[in-house]
Amino acid sequence: MSLGFAAEGLSKSFGALVVLNNVSLTIKPGETIGLLGPNGAGKTTLVNILTGYEQADLGSVTLDGQSFNTLPAHARAHNGLARTFQSGRLFSELTVAENIALGALSVGISSKVAEKRTAEILEILEISNLAENRANSISHGNARLVGLARAVVAEPKYLIMDEPAAGINEHETPTLLAALKTVSKTLGCGMLLVEHNVQLVLDFSSRIIVLATGNLIYDGKPEHALSDPAVKSAYLGEMSLNISNVSH
Amino acid sequence: MIQTILNALSLGGTYALASLGLGLVFGVMRLVNFAYSELITIAAYTLVMTSQMPIIVGFLLSVVVTSIAAVLMELLVYRRLRGVAPAIMLVASFGLSKLLQQVYELCFGALPRSASIAPWMSGELKFSGVSITNTSLITALLTIVLLLVMRFLLNKTSFGIQLKAASADFRTARLLGVRANHLITLSFAMSGVLAAFVGAILVVGNPQVEPMFGMNMTILALVGIVIGGISSLPGSALGGFIVGVILSLLNTWLGNGRVYSYSWLFAVVFIILLVRPGGLLSKGQEMERV
Repeated sequence: MSLGFAAEGLSKSFGALVVLNNVSLTIKPGETIGLLGPNGAGKTTLVNILTGYEQADLGSVTLDGQSFNTLPAHARAHNGLARTFQSGRLFSELTVAENIALGALSVGISSKVAEKRTAEILEILEISNLAENRANSISHGNARLVGLARAVVAEPKYLIMDEPAAGINEHETPTLLAALKTVSKTLGCGMLLVEHNVQLVLDFSSRIIVLATGNLIYDGKPEHALSDPAVKSAYLGEMSLNISNVSH
Repeated sequence: MIQTILNALSLGGTYALASLGLGLVFGVMRLVNFAYSELITIAAYTLVMTSQMPIIVGFLLSVVVTSIAAVLMELLVYRRLRGVAPAIMLVASFGLSKLLQQVYELCFGALPRSASIAPWMSGELKFSGVSITNTSLITALLTIVLLLVMRFLLNKTSFGIQLKAASADFRTARLLGVRANHLITLSFAMSGVLAAFVGAILVVGNPQVEPMFGMNMTILALVGIVIGGISSLPGSALGGFIVGVILSLLNTWLGNGRVYSYSWLFAVVFIILLVRPGGLLSKGQEMERV
């Protein structure tokens, strides 16, 4: 049985618009992958297909050899796949601790264990002081950390993060990066970071994948990603200035 | 005065239970289950039909019958319509409500069925010159205990936390792993249990059960969940409570003018919705609600 969360030959079209074209990728256990791509590259569609929110027209998704093709989203979560959301999507009526515990309770973990793990993850991410606050009363940056905590409290095998840095300021970014590294080190799950913040992706990931207009144009080491001709070409006009300012 | 307060608390509590029962299902399915009325009715019929048995046996049977009826509604009707447009679900719930009324009429007749249920509850207690009816006292205490139990279930149990999350954002809850069928079936069962309590409280006060017995309560409970905040379970209970308290106080204060109670009630509801269009405890827009 091959270990890893794998997508093979994923294609997706909306009418005449091809959003994904024969995209394949594999996340190995413990591996940290960054997924970059300009607007409209197909990143969100890829995330939605991987997590079961949308179905691919063609291709397959497997987790440690088990086919995920016909599994609905909640069943994928029960089988070790977790995700965070671009807009946070915390439940405002619940406290921070309840929001995090929900990540464990919803996949069948007992209340007692969920409570214990929630306390641990709050400690690891250094947000224990927020535990009893309502989710709608915390800062945007902290909400991102809570979303991350909720995704990993069930100790998933693989984690997909959809733009965790969206909307946070430059002072909060180092905190998020530290949290991501802590989670990776502590839990050891395979992680796919889908993000517009190129510097954050380069600082976090051991491998970079770049999508452009639905095609996978780069899969390799971070240090070579920005000098790759195809990547440069894809970003030219949109992010060339930003990329030129990125250090690695 | 004490009697007035107890009446208000007991009626408020009863409406709170009914609104919560409706809100549980609305939360996870975005379905206004008009057939909730027939759950209250079947609970009342069961109590009438078992009136020769000890009240506790009749009540337990009523809870079992009503919960099973609620779960069957979900399995046989609503589950098969899952994913269709909200308007279709709404029409289906109207249709189911009407169908069950006809079934009740066939089974029990169009005229009211009556029986003496817990006659000891119609007595009065006297404290230093103040008379309090047993019905008001027991109903007030029962609804307070039930609301506390529901509060515990919703806030302190895994089911409650998942239910509150699913009520606020079902799609996200599903993506996190919440089992939809499991949660929806349990919600219907709990909704049935609450309907059984509401039916029991109503039938003790008015043991004349006819096919549309639960209709009035259901419509006002719906008003309660709208003014409380349609996607909030605590809001549903609060809204129902407010409707019941206002109605009870109006009935007392208006004397012979109580025929206008509903007019005044809806005037208050209108004002509340002008100030808080999304309901008292609502956080956002309710664009996709029915």
